[in-house]
Amino acid sequence: MAFNSINISVEAPIENQIQEITYDGMEIYQPPLTLSESLVKYAQKIDFSKTTDLDLKREDTTDDSKSDIDPKDAFQSSLWPWDSVRNKLRNAHQEVCVLADVLAIAKDKRYMVLDPVPQEPLETKPMVQIYARKKALAGAANVLLTGAEKLKTSQNEAVRNRTTPDFHIELLRLRQNWRLKKVSNTIIGDLSYRTAGSKYLQTGTFEVTKAEEDEKTNSPPSSPLPGGIVPAKPSSALKVSIPSELQGVAYIEVLCQKDFEDLCSANINFLGSGAPSSNPDMHWQQKLEAAQNVLFCKELFNQLAKEAVQLQNPIPHMVVGNQIMASVLPSIQLIIALRHSTSGDKKIEKPSHSRSEHDHVLEHSLHQLLREVHHKNTHHPFPHPATGPLGPSKKRMMAGPMAADRYELLEMTKQETLLEQIVRQTQHFLMRMRTEYVLDTLAKEFKDPLITSHWSTHSSATRSCVKITILTHGYDAVHSTPLLVYIAEKGLKCICRDGRVMNLSYEPQELRDLIFYTINQHRIQIVIGLAKVMGWQILENSNHLGIGAVEPLGNAASCLLASPTGDRIIAVRCEPQANAIHVSVAHSPRTDFFPGRLVTERKWEHLGGQFRDVRMDKMEGKNFLYKMELLMASLTSNS
Amino acid sequence: MANRALPQSKEALLKSYRTRLKDDVKSMLENFEEIIKLAKGDHDTQLSRLTQCEQDTYEMHVRAANIVRAGESLMKLVSDIKQYLILNDFPSVNEAITQNSKLFRTKQAECDQKLMTLRDDVAAELYDLEEEYYTSPNK
Repeated sequence: MAFNSINISVEAPIENQIQEITYDGMEIYQPPLTLSESLVKYAQKIDFSKTTDLDLKREDTTDDSKSDIDPKDAFQSSLWPWDSVRNKLRNAHQEVCVLADVLAIAKDKRYMVLDPVPQEPLETKPMVQIYARKKALAGAANVLLTGAEKLKTSQNEAVRNRTTPDFHIELLRLRQNWRLKKVSNTIIGDLSYRTAGSKYLQTGTFEVTKAEEDEKTNSPPSSPLPGGIVPAKPSSALKVSIPSELQGVAYIEVLCQKDFEDLCSANINFLGSGAPSSNPDMHWQQKLEAAQNVLFCKELFNQLAKEAVQLQNPIPHMVVGNQIMASVLPSIQLIIALRHSTSGDKKIEKPSHSRSEHDHVLEHSLHQLLREVHHKNTHHPFPHPATGPLGPSKKRMMAGPMAADRYELLEMTKQETLLEQIVRQTQHFLMRMRTEYVLDTLAKEFKDPLITSHWSTHSSATRSCVKITILTHGYDAVHSTPLLVYIAEKGLKCICRDGRVMNLSYEPQELRDLIFYTINQHRIQIVIGLAKVMGWQILENSNHLGIGAVEPLGNAASCLLASPTGDRIIAVRCEPQANAIHVSVAHSPRTDFFPGRLVTERKWEHLGGQFRDVRMDKMEGKNFLYKMELLMASLTSNS
Repeated sequence: MANRALPQSKEALLKSYRTRLKDDVKSMLENFEEIIKLAKGDHDTQLSRLTQCEQDTYEMHVRAANIVRAGESLMKLVSDIKQYLILNDFPSVNEAITQNSKLFRTKQAECDQKLMTLRDDVAAELYDLEEEYYTSPNK
């Protein structure tokens, strides 16, 4: 029966128990218990020996079942209702007394000692415990040792791999060259030119991380870079990650185009002509420099493009994509293009133009111009406030005391843009090139009067000077014609021997003509000089002869020389365009005189005679002046 | 110089470094002491010996691991401090910048010097060449 689990509450039925049933079927009920009777009944139920609840319950049920069986005995034994209770209390009292006595004796510890009863002894022996402890300690030591080993190996690795310097040393080097700062667990660097005065908006930030060691243990040796420094150790403990827009290689290409024919070009590249490959194994320094170069090129191009759009030019500049076109001289255009290759493969095709050599002047000047702007942004003329907004420039400050007028003030506000400056420089460059070309070809062309040109080493980006000397070989001391040419941006300023100043335009033909003219002058002048040396008389000298055939350009020059005795006359006529010299000789009293019908007397011969042409090309002599000397000498000696 | 006012965050950072150092060292010491205490092993417990042994072993392992962790944390701290020093050591950075600028200045002067001598040389050579050319019979 599962009475253990189910609590059955038992209560007295409302109906009394049936005592007996008579034959006639009448039930005789037991009379209900009186109060005293029920008290006895309950008192008997108190059992002091039972303590736990479980026992109580069990007893309850058994009691119930018992009481159901013999209720009569209970009634009969209850002589006095508290009898059992009393008995039990008395027993308890006895036991407590005995216990108190025992405790009193035990407390004295004279006659009695309380000993703990050994429970069943544990089977663990002390040795086992020691072994266990030993094992535990060994385990702990093992953990410590592996930890220490790990630290040691990591240290040793750093010491052993001296070829790859420590991360912190690398970081220190990086810090010495670049700006770094820490932003919550990451190290952010800055490669923009902002501290140098740049106001370009794009941020040039890069991130510095520790390089993973495993992947670069056997990185292939990077191919020797053309021009660049080959990194001695490709593996570095440091890794820099650069934003994608700054990766790769960029340069600014400057082209001067004349009817789609390249005149000159310059590739601007900080890292020399060799385009550095952008392989990931590159050393951080080079990587950062390349990125900075990209940033610089971008800024430069951005600035130029902005100016190109804003500038009001008679021929507007064009900005198309990554290209700016500006007209420099008629039919010559300056093309500035930004070339940026982000791909790693080196396919920066060199533009195949005839002048493939680098023009370092244009390269450098573009460079310099932006640097100058940067410099101006940070270096303001003194005095300026140390803090707070910057005041007017020094020139503006001086404007008040110097009583500048409106025009001067307006001039102050004008600032030359980078594009204008580069255009001017290009113009000058072109002018110089043309001048050089003209002078070289002329020097090659003319052997008779030599043309030597000395370029001044003192020149600026928009101004240079060349001194041209025209002289005849062997007669340097007699005469030489200097010509000074100042080359500006759109024209030339020539100062002739006699102090005349000529302003020429950009057309090279003009300079050519001027030099022809000067050569002409030189020839006449040197003949005159020679005549003086030879003792001949100069009868007439004209630079602009009005007679004879009309020259297509300029005028012929001439001179008329008389021999010391006066009986011979040489006439020289130089024509600039044809480059021809006509020499004629006249004997005024001819050596042989035959009286004729018209001229009867010899004295009339003094009036001058007929001029006869001298065929110079048939004469002996290296050059014109030599021939002239011979001619003079022969004519003098005859007299 | 030494006691110039650092910004609040920097001060806090330095303080955190100090506390980390102290904490780690303390943790090492405490864990070691505890291990030693465990090794001594007289402590009364209600547990049975076997269980006790097992618990001690486990505890020792954990404490040893703690020591190792503290050690690694110290290494990390050293690295952090190095990094902090490198990134914030402005006097040395200034020194480096000065040195660099000096280096570049000398380089520039050197280059200028070289260019000037080159120019002089070329001018002299040109003079000689011109002399030779103009006096040569070719002309």
